[in-house]
Amino acid sequence: MPIQLNKGLIGREFPPFVVTIERGKIKDFARAIGDPNPFYLDDRVGQASEFGDVIAPPTFMTTFREAGGDNAEFLRELGTDISRLLHGEQEFELHRPLRPGDTLLCRSRIVDIYEKTGRSGPMGFVVRETAATDQSGEIVGTMRHITVVRL
Amino acid sequence: MKYARVYAEDVKVGDELPALVKGPIQQIQLTRYAGASGDFNPIHQDHEFARAAGMGDVFAHGMLSMGFVAQAVTDWAGAGRVRKIGVRFAAIVRLKDVITCRGRVLATSSKDDEHLVEVEIWAENQKGEKVVTGKATVALPSRA
Repeated sequence: MPIQLNKGLIGREFPPFVVTIERGKIKDFARAIGDPNPFYLDDRVGQASEFGDVIAPPTFMTTFREAGGDNAEFLRELGTDISRLLHGEQEFELHRPLRPGDTLLCRSRIVDIYEKTGRSGPMGFVVRETAATDQSGEIVGTMRHITVVRL
Repeated sequence: MKYARVYAEDVKVGDELPALVKGPIQQIQLTRYAGASGDFNPIHQDHEFARAAGMGDVFAHGMLSMGFVAQAVTDWAGAGRVRKIGVRFAAIVRLKDVITCRGRVLATSSKDDEHLVEVEIWAENQKGEKVVTGKATVALPSRA
């Protein structure tokens, strides 16, 4: 009997959290991917560019996490644990490049939870969306994360 | 040359992005990516944990592979040009895998002063299996 995910969590909003983008974090992230692009790594190239500073790679929003946030607690409520998770899909929409010093308010919610049976058996899907707004209230980016739960 | 500027007028449907080869994947890169991304799921670090979870061995973060395909896009279109990028993780990437990222222009459009190019993107392993598939939209400058 496969485990059941708690669909009562659809619509759950997580506490909003603030992220301030740090120069060194951008560079560590680009280096971890092995991307030597000078627009991410070289301050002088960034300052001379149309962006006025180094910018973050397109997938950098994935680093946005609530400091001290307890994902294990959410997974318990969902009815699973970290060992059963796979990353199914991911999407980013970026209205402008992110730069050091950007202070962003992030709001995250669960938009759907559903189950499907695939080649490797029953799977659960948890769809989470996060929107980041800057200090003028403009949305600068959104991300959509689909977690697969091996049931 | 690398990081040459691409203009909207230079791009047509069917154009292929230069292939980007990444890897072989090493444990140290997964550890480094965990630190840089904040994703410390032990399934990417701890062999015993990954085995007990039924995964055989550790495997790469999906987001690392997405970072690779995003690099293929920005190597071609330029940093700061990506407006949208979305992928599906089609297969697990293992240690020692060599990942080749590719792309092809699907559509171009212009509205007001913005020139958008939609590209199909994917990554395959050394056996030719697709590990990531998706699409990206980039905004390119115009020569005009």
